[in-house]
Amino acid sequence: MSVLPGIASIAAMALYAAFFLHAESQAQVLGLVALGVVGVPVLARVGWIARTATSLEAHPLAARSASVAALAVIIALFHDQHFVMLMLASVLLYSVACLGLTVQFGYAGVVNFAGAAFLGVGGYTSAVFGPHVPHALVLLIGGGLAALVGSILILPILRTRGHYAALITVAFGILFRTFVEVNDALGGPQGLQVKGMNLFGWELNSPLRDLSFYANYVFVGLALAAAAFVLVRRLERSWVGLSLDAVRLDETAAAVFGIDVARWKILAFTCGNFFAGIAGAAYAMMTGFVAPNSFTFGDSLILVSIVLLGGLGSAWGVPLAAGIVLIVPEKLQALQEYRFLLYAMLVIVILLARPQGLIARPAREYFPK
Amino acid sequence: MHNCVPRVFWAAALAAALASDAGAAKQTVKIAYIGPLTGGVSANGIGGRNSADLAVRLRNADPKAKYRYELVSLDDECKPNIAVQAATKAASDNSIVAGVTHYCSVAAIAAVDTYHKFGFPAVVWGAVLPDITYRNNYAEVHRVNGTMINQNDVAAKFMTGLKYKRWVIIHDTTDYGKGHDKYFTEYLTKYGGQVLGRFGVTADQQDFTAELTKAKELKPEVIYFGGLTPIGVRIRSQMERLGIDAVFEGTSGIKSDSYIDGLGKLAEGSLSFIEGAPWEKLPGGLYFIGKYAQQKYDQGPEAYGPFAFTAAGLIMDVIEQVGPNRRKVIEELRKTRDKDSIVGKISFDDHGQNVVPLITKYVVQDGKWVVWEDSEYASGRRKLK
Amino acid sequence: MDVGLFGQYVANGLMLGVIYAMVAVGFTLFFGVLDVIKFSHGDVLTAGAFAGLATYGGLQALGFASPAVQLLIILLVAVAAMAFLGALIAKYLVLPLRTAPPLNTLLLTLMLGAALRECVRLFYPQGANPKPFPRLLPQDAVALGSFTLRLDNVLLLLGGLAAIAAVHFVITRTKLGLAIRAVAQDAETARIMGIDFERVVLLTFALGSGLAALAGIMNGLYYSEINFSIGLLLGVIGFSAAVVGGLGNIYGAILGGFLFAGLQTVGAVLLPALLPQVPSAYKDVFAFAAVIAFMAWRPTGLIAEKTAERV
Repeated sequence: MSVLPGIASIAAMALYAAFFLHAESQAQVLGLVALGVVGVPVLARVGWIARTATSLEAHPLAARSASVAALAVIIALFHDQHFVMLMLASVLLYSVACLGLTVQFGYAGVVNFAGAAFLGVGGYTSAVFGPHVPHALVLLIGGGLAALVGSILILPILRTRGHYAALITVAFGILFRTFVEVNDALGGPQGLQVKGMNLFGWELNSPLRDLSFYANYVFVGLALAAAAFVLVRRLERSWVGLSLDAVRLDETAAAVFGIDVARWKILAFTCGNFFAGIAGAAYAMMTGFVAPNSFTFGDSLILVSIVLLGGLGSAWGVPLAAGIVLIVPEKLQALQEYRFLLYAMLVIVILLARPQGLIARPAREYFPK
Repeated sequence: MHNCVPRVFWAAALAAALASDAGAAKQTVKIAYIGPLTGGVSANGIGGRNSADLAVRLRNADPKAKYRYELVSLDDECKPNIAVQAATKAASDNSIVAGVTHYCSVAAIAAVDTYHKFGFPAVVWGAVLPDITYRNNYAEVHRVNGTMINQNDVAAKFMTGLKYKRWVIIHDTTDYGKGHDKYFTEYLTKYGGQVLGRFGVTADQQDFTAELTKAKELKPEVIYFGGLTPIGVRIRSQMERLGIDAVFEGTSGIKSDSYIDGLGKLAEGSLSFIEGAPWEKLPGGLYFIGKYAQQKYDQGPEAYGPFAFTAAGLIMDVIEQVGPNRRKVIEELRKTRDKDSIVGKISFDDHGQNVVPLITKYVVQDGKWVVWEDSEYASGRRKLK
Repeated sequence: MDVGLFGQYVANGLMLGVIYAMVAVGFTLFFGVLDVIKFSHGDVLTAGAFAGLATYGGLQALGFASPAVQLLIILLVAVAAMAFLGALIAKYLVLPLRTAPPLNTLLLTLMLGAALRECVRLFYPQGANPKPFPRLLPQDAVALGSFTLRLDNVLLLLGGLAAIAAVHFVITRTKLGLAIRAVAQDAETARIMGIDFERVVLLTFALGSGLAALAGIMNGLYYSEINFSIGLLLGVIGFSAAVVGGLGNIYGAILGGFLFAGLQTVGAVLLPALLPQVPSAYKDVFAFAAVIAFMAWRPTGLIAEKTAERV
């Protein structure tokens, strides 16, 4: 499988993204959106998307280098525009969290409707520990605490199946938000201010020459997203991923074959929450603020819709979907109000028409060439 | 290949910009308006936006103005996190010079750090929490309306003066509600009133039967409410449901038409306090109302509309003086002393706070907010409970 | 604490319990029939309440005066509209996804609920604001010591219980109910026996959604106010109640509803008594934590569903 379809697709998407971010008038934006809405099914029909997916799978190094290069170009183009840099950094950090969610229900089938709550744990960790502890450590602590908080849910989740397990995460999400809202020690409904990130002496909130200071966060976000991506891909292709898939596809059969279902579910759930915690900690330092209202059930639903839109279990689909879900509504000013309605309808349409998402997860290759 | 693309972009963008700008003679200056355009207090937010919009229109109709102004309005939903997002959006857009910001205290207190980070001049028009101007000494933040300190002083003094003694305080758990609780308790104890109990409720709480049942046990004469209209309506309505016979004393947060719309007859006899002279009685106020009616907005200015109008006018005056440069606007705004406006004279102290000594008392009579002194309650023809 | 006050707490808890039970019964019906959790149920409740409000506006414009007649018409219109909506959802969104993995259906109904909520917020005039709901029930009250007995509370409680009893009657004593139970037990065999599967499913959804509309109107009458987000929390609570009671079992749903209301009331009263600094807003935290703990103890609810799993 040649590397060209993958590289060509990445270049085309970068070009589209650049035009999209630059577009000022609503007419231009709508035109580009229409182009996308029409173009994607057409490309799917002629098999281009499938070819891209296979090409990206076959040449991982080239694919990753191309994406990083494309991102570098976009940063160069918009280096002094605060808002664009902020959006890029948000997309990257949300990708980290959604990659975690992918491990949870894309691979292991453990449904998690409390993703935003774990982002919140990370965020509040930054707020509380930020002034006292070196920030690189704060990120890790954020991830660790999120994993720890998630572990109280493990027992109920292991004992329940399907809808019951979903209820547990939904109840937890609401519980978390209510808890931080009524708890004055964590700032109550007003939330807490968070210090800007300071990594080993590099103060991220101070701009380098005419570069927007948010660009610093884009670099950190890129590092985190790249690490998460590589980790998730390695995980998927290893025997760990194989076991997780077995657990997801048929628990009884997996147990019959000696796979410890409980152990893999715990691993997936904890790992996913760890990612979400790190992403939440970094995001809070970037926006400088955490409040209970940022981590509602609706926000968890947005995370789930990103994972589903990209393609359940598809690591490449996650950043793409995050980009669409976070950037498109910002640009369409007229649609600001209708944002959430459109997400909901988009997910409904996808579930009915193309449940495998934008970049479907390619079939596992058992015998690599 | 990638290097040619940006040049093509900028060429195309420049051409488009020049083409669209060909007709304009004056430079366009953008100012932001941030307020709760959706949600429970949207009446105030939309009223504020219309008032700021009115100020911009009147200025654009003035041939002596040096610039053409454009109002960019953003919604803060009365939520701190959304307020931070809206503030970031306005402040990170270099074409927006200054902002008329925030009705909700929770939104304002969250956003002030953002304005400071970006060096964005902001004039608060409706939030009353003192911390907004007094917690830090940010050069960027100013406020034309008063703080809740004076409001609560008058509220406590007035009711103890009418010989009420027993209070229960219900406040929302945001910084706004907690601020009211703090200052009111301080003044009430000073004037000899007694606080029998105090309940904190969340800003979007539906069911108050638990708190009100406990309050009923305490047999208060007055229930003081520190919070905004949506839960004020619910609490008053559920008080009725549980048979609690006490006076409902609110703050500026409930002085809106939506409070009366939500309760109908039950609103009768509710009290509220607001800073500034009743602007209906000032000539500037009548001018404002006249012009406002001419524009045929479908939402009235509500209690703080005149302050939004004043804030916008003040910003535009300063921009006319020093030009559309954020730093210069900040310096010039801070120097405002004894400036005339429809809400009285504006003078910013060293923290950017306008000092407004006068507080007006209002009571609901026959479905309208009436100034206490003009009401039948003051003359004795009607009695509060 | 004197008896009157205790009685007041009990009365509050009962009212909440009836509303939760009505929502829970809906969830249980849908699950029983199609093995699907229709998460949009709470938002159907909201839509029903708003439909009622809109009807009221229309009636005012037309000049109907009597509150009893107004109430009757509002109920009829709201219940019929939501029954229709429920059937539509079943036909076009839930039935086609019968063969898909359950996560997809769960997600679909969650998103549908969100879409319904947003539609109400955006398209109903000033939908984002809380709206006063007309007081159509008689407002008389009798004060018995410190306990205020209100006629409208009593009417609402009796009405809710009557509605649940009616649904129970339909399920256990009518032919439709028999068909519903047959389909819930084993859809394939029911079809072999000549039961029209699709028709039964649509009718079940219509029944459940109509009940939700009734709950929405009751909620509006009780609080004299509705807003676009009441459905979200009520839906989650109704779902929790149905699950705690045991999905698929009506008695379980009713039990779960009252149990959850009890947990909330206990949380609101006991917690501040035991730990003075804890505001009563912690009651939701308490109730949901109790639900999660309960699920760990009894994973399939109080009245467990009997499942047979094909391996």
